[in-house]
Amino acid sequence: MDISFKRDRNTLVVLIEGEIDHHTSKDARDRIDSKFIMEPVKNIIIDLSKVSFMDSSGIGLITGRLKKASSIGGTLAIKKPSKEVLRILKMSKIDSMIELDA
Amino acid sequence: MQPINKVKVEFLSKSSNEAFARVVAASFVAQADPSIEVLADIRTAVSEAVTNSIIHGYDEKEGIITMACTLYPELVEITIEDSGKGIEDIEKAKEPLYTSKPELERSGMGFTVMETFMDTLIIESSPGTGTRIVMTKQLGNG
Repeated sequence: MDISFKRDRNTLVVLIEGEIDHHTSKDARDRIDSKFIMEPVKNIIIDLSKVSFMDSSGIGLITGRLKKASSIGGTLAIKKPSKEVLRILKMSKIDSMIELDA
Repeated sequence: MQPINKVKVEFLSKSSNEAFARVVAASFVAQADPSIEVLADIRTAVSEAVTNSIIHGYDEKEGIITMACTLYPELVEITIEDSGKGIEDIEKAKEPLYTSKPELERSGMGFTVMETFMDTLIIESSPGTGTRIVMTKQLGNG
């Protein structure tokens, strides 16, 4: 899995490439959290357009980052999930808590 | 029903084997030429079952996970088995959003995903002896 970051004013944009499962989500969590602390941001956008596989570990990853952003008054949004990824997101009802740009 | 083909693999309960297991299962089922959607469902369900064995069955310590796939003319049966600590309350474990490990940011959606993505799901478990998951999926090729 590859993760890259860019900052758009007070928003951290996270581009994840590859597969999100229990194995890869631990590393993703650590990397996103340390970047979120270091940068002057309060919102997170996670771009899933290059995620080829995601299981329920991805839901944990996203809700965990939502809590981080909410704790400092920020928001979290998801961009461009594939059809399969969107199915998992909707199953967890997470789409009612976050902005989802499919 | 006579099986067309079978495969059985054993692997260590390492998280790097989650990808291995789902790729093996999907590659095996691919010989029946199912749709991409069916293969994606199988990959996801296998990933959930193997992850459960690693995190809950073995508490992320070393153990052996066995995965068996049996292909029938119209369906595949996938069994994932561990000799870990087992599940005390299966009904509770199946509840959507319930997790015994919130500190690991687990979503509690594992069994819900397996139930939704597969056609049948049987959970056999007893504390101290391990857990056996049997799932089937119609291949839609008949």
